[in-house]
Amino acid sequence: MNALALILTSQLTHLAPADILILVLYFALVIFIGFYAKGKANTSEDFFLAGREMTAWIAGLSFVSANLGSLELMGWAGAAYQYGILAAHWYWIGAIPAMLFLGIVMMPFYYISKTHSVPGYLQLRFGEGARGLAAVSFAAMTILMSGVNMYAMALVMKTVLGWNISFSIWVGAATVALYVMLGGLRSAIINEVLQFVLIWAGAAMIPILGLIEAGGWTKLKAQIAVNVGTTDYGHMWSTLGSFKDNPMGVHWTGIVFGLGFVISFGYWTTDFLVVQRVLSANNLRAAKMAPVIGAAFKMAVPFIVIVPGLLALAVLKNPDGSIMHLVPESVAAATGQHSYNEVLPLMLIRYCGPGLLGLGITALVAGFMSGMAGNVSAFSTVWTYDLYGAFINKKADDKHYVAMGRWSTVIGMLVSIATAYLVMNAASIMDYVQALFSFFIAPLFGTVILGMLWKRATHWGGFLGLLAGTVSSIAMFIWVQSNAGALRYIAMSPDAKPMAENLYRALWSWIICVVVTVVVSLVTKPVPEEQLSGLVYGVTPIPHDGSATIWQKPIFWAIVVIVVFFILNLMFW
Amino acid sequence: MDKHEHEVESAELSIWFFCGILMLAYGIVLVFTGLTEFHHPPQNEILLPWLESLHPTLWWGVVLTLFGGFYTIRFRPGRI
Repeated sequence: MNALALILTSQLTHLAPADILILVLYFALVIFIGFYAKGKANTSEDFFLAGREMTAWIAGLSFVSANLGSLELMGWAGAAYQYGILAAHWYWIGAIPAMLFLGIVMMPFYYISKTHSVPGYLQLRFGEGARGLAAVSFAAMTILMSGVNMYAMALVMKTVLGWNISFSIWVGAATVALYVMLGGLRSAIINEVLQFVLIWAGAAMIPILGLIEAGGWTKLKAQIAVNVGTTDYGHMWSTLGSFKDNPMGVHWTGIVFGLGFVISFGYWTTDFLVVQRVLSANNLRAAKMAPVIGAAFKMAVPFIVIVPGLLALAVLKNPDGSIMHLVPESVAAATGQHSYNEVLPLMLIRYCGPGLLGLGITALVAGFMSGMAGNVSAFSTVWTYDLYGAFINKKADDKHYVAMGRWSTVIGMLVSIATAYLVMNAASIMDYVQALFSFFIAPLFGTVILGMLWKRATHWGGFLGLLAGTVSSIAMFIWVQSNAGALRYIAMSPDAKPMAENLYRALWSWIICVVVTVVVSLVTKPVPEEQLSGLVYGVTPIPHDGSATIWQKPIFWAIVVIVVFFILNLMFW
Repeated sequence: MDKHEHEVESAELSIWFFCGILMLAYGIVLVFTGLTEFHHPPQNEILLPWLESLHPTLWWGVVLTLFGGFYTIRFRPGRI
């Protein structure tokens, strides 16, 4: 996704007293929640896993909300303007199958192994080497992502409201540090559920009013076809037969295998930031249901993200009545036009007067802060359990680890602030940080899935496979960065565009990880089966999840969700 | 703290109560703002006259008030 380098000379709008009241009410409640949750964060289980007492609904909403940050909302609304409805693939095939797979197949292993984190599972399955590699890369990436979120929020506030960048960074960081430090994961989860409700309350008016203005979905598609001169922007699959037939320059194999399989499964099943939310569930059935509930809500998100981007193609006009053309960041910076990533704020300002505007801005602020909180709470867990507790101080008491969790939250936040200032001085870093994150996810999925499903996978196989996948992903990235011609080899076509590179790079690095893991495992000594109980399919008795009726069965609801998923894809084929 | 005590304490304030109270407060703010806009339409509604007759701020405020009110009452402290 492109960086949100929104650089404008003047602000887009200003807040009325009602808007400020709405924003102040939000901050007051968030800080209250931090103090409220502090009383319940006494043990490490409380602080890092919210006491494992969340219901399926809360864990599910928090699970989907942890990924619904404002960076994603604004970026994908911009992508919808740029690429049309193809951008919805990142919400449907790029999420739903993987979320259901996590709930039905993988969650029992995460849950019954009683691990505190994904690197923790790797330690149980593959030993300290794989855990150390995964923990270091994850900790570094989360803290950098938190800084990117912080800077993006400050930049949006400057662009939309003219706020000082340092003011936004410090107020946002201090609030997040306060509520995560006080209440740990419980505080983060409460705020994520709140943010989910807020985002819908703040953003739903854009598609509702936009569709009224456009005259409905059919007229919207017709108007887009007139404005851009092609009907390609309204189809999800029919244009994917060739790289050059669609605005994204991608082939269906990249969407299905690269996005739908590797990237999506890698992110939704092994990124601890999201998995941590499900680990907080209060029983196995809730842990299995949470991703299914999350998937159902995830399917609806394109309504508030993709539809506004499409509406902008049809209804946004300049003051003289001509069609407004949004441009890439680099062009916007030079010409003073609006960029793709400004779609959501522009549409918000178009339809929302005082009060509604404040609600929309508060939803964006909540999304940014929740993004920071999610990263920082996951960082403090992985740091405390998988780095500090595993390699530095193994024998401290529980109280010490809770204190370490609180301190690492504050220190993590300070490093994030430093990152935010670093990004401010070199905006391209933002693109690199986001690319860095993708280096680790695809190979990690290869390691975890082989670990769970193949009992022959050995410690050396897991570690070397993860290392080989990660190194090859970085090497491919550097190759394309230093030689643009390399893209045709990575993405298998001279017509491929940068978006396609991510998909194919992930696919290759996953394949390399799997091949290395399998080959090394076959030539090294197998792990005794008794050590694999509770960790691997085939040698683990899966306990009954307690479902009594069909309505309580996670598999039933997973089937319902996947049927709706297929219907939606056919409707927008 | 024993398990029972822990459960009772954690039930004091539900997450849904927090959602409800915030949406209720926002709904009330929007309803008042929407009512004042009957005579003083905001700038964006002057530019889009079709929007003015829909009174989106007022009606969205009503929706949030009902939603927030329901959740506030349903999950109020002491009820669960």
